[in-house]
Amino acid sequence: MKRWLLLLLIVAAALALVVVPVVLIQPFKPQTERSLAAGYALKSWAPLGTLALAAVALLLAARAWRGSRWWTKAALVLLLVPAAASVWASRQNIYEVMFNPLERPAYVSPAEANYIGDADMVLAVERGGERVAYPVRLMAYHHIVADTVGGVPIAATY
Amino acid sequence: MWETTVEGRALHFRLAGINNQNFIMRDEETGSWWQQISGECILGPLKGRRLKSFDHDELTFATWKAEGAQGRVLRPDPKIEAARQYAPADWEQSVARMRVATTLANPNEGLPARTLVVGVEAGGRSKAYPFEALERQNPITDALGGVPLLVVLAEDGKSVRVFDRRLDGRALDLYMKTGSNTLLDAQTGSEWDFTGTALVGELSGRKLGRLRPLKDYWFDWKTYHPDTAVYTLGD
Repeated sequence: MKRWLLLLLIVAAALALVVVPVVLIQPFKPQTERSLAAGYALKSWAPLGTLALAAVALLLAARAWRGSRWWTKAALVLLLVPAAASVWASRQNIYEVMFNPLERPAYVSPAEANYIGDADMVLAVERGGERVAYPVRLMAYHHIVADTVGGVPIAATY
Repeated sequence: MWETTVEGRALHFRLAGINNQNFIMRDEETGSWWQQISGECILGPLKGRRLKSFDHDELTFATWKAEGAQGRVLRPDPKIEAARQYAPADWEQSVARMRVATTLANPNEGLPARTLVVGVEAGGRSKAYPFEALERQNPITDALGGVPLLVVLAEDGKSVRVFDRRLDGRALDLYMKTGSNTLLDAQTGSEWDFTGTALVGELSGRKLGRLRPLKDYWFDWKTYHPDTAVYTLGD
């Protein structure tokens, strides 16, 4: 019985490592300095932490596996699934899933930019004779676009 | 708009979270977290560093095209476009209906939370100019932190620039020439365009210095500038 409780707690901890940071950094909830710091710490430890917890869970499950009934085996597998999922989840960037980054930004001439209208807003930069416009509608989705303007590496953000 | 080289080191930024309507960026090199609106590193090995801001404008596409023949425009990602993930043209209206997420005790203090303002920082002070006030009184002549400034709305009704009115040791008084998009200064009668360049008159060829405005919602501006002043018509 104790082993099951331990297994449950370990899987819960692994899940918490990936779920809590996302809950702390929600778009429509205000965040405080402390909750951000907690989110950062949890996210930093999650890849290693979930791996370690999943490894312990696997060990415990292996011990309980031998000589057990089929429904016990099924329950063990069911518990290992969220453990494995949290190992995978800790290595994903959910924000980039929601807002795909522009890995290879491409540009066109003003005349070719038929996807925006004259009244649409753009972020505009100019340096060393080089002029670039980042349409706000695109920036509102991608949030960050890396570029080099007038020889200076920048990040356009919105 | 930020320069991404910090202490000689090129950083590459990814999205790491959304915080109070602004977002958090993470640099791939150290994993530190940076606030998008202030460029400040708030957590991680580079905590305390600040990104250097890169001069930029927020203009209508038409005004940007009119101010220079050449240039390049960011293209959409064809996959995102095909999936219709980019916001529709009136997306700002739906944002205006969203709940306000803020740590301010009263986001409606001073002005209604979602009032559109033009925020300016100068001489260590900050001030919010309600967009509606600018629409009624264009340009706005003011002084902030000892800097004589001018808030100007372009003819397109959307592009905003803020100029430092000082030239050759004196502060110019500028007015809109009736029926056009050009400004006139009272001191010499020279005509100035929306880029702050004098095209006609004694000061022809001279350029006014620029301050960086931020078009933002009042509650968001106040969150990051708690001591901000507010401009009221007739100031």
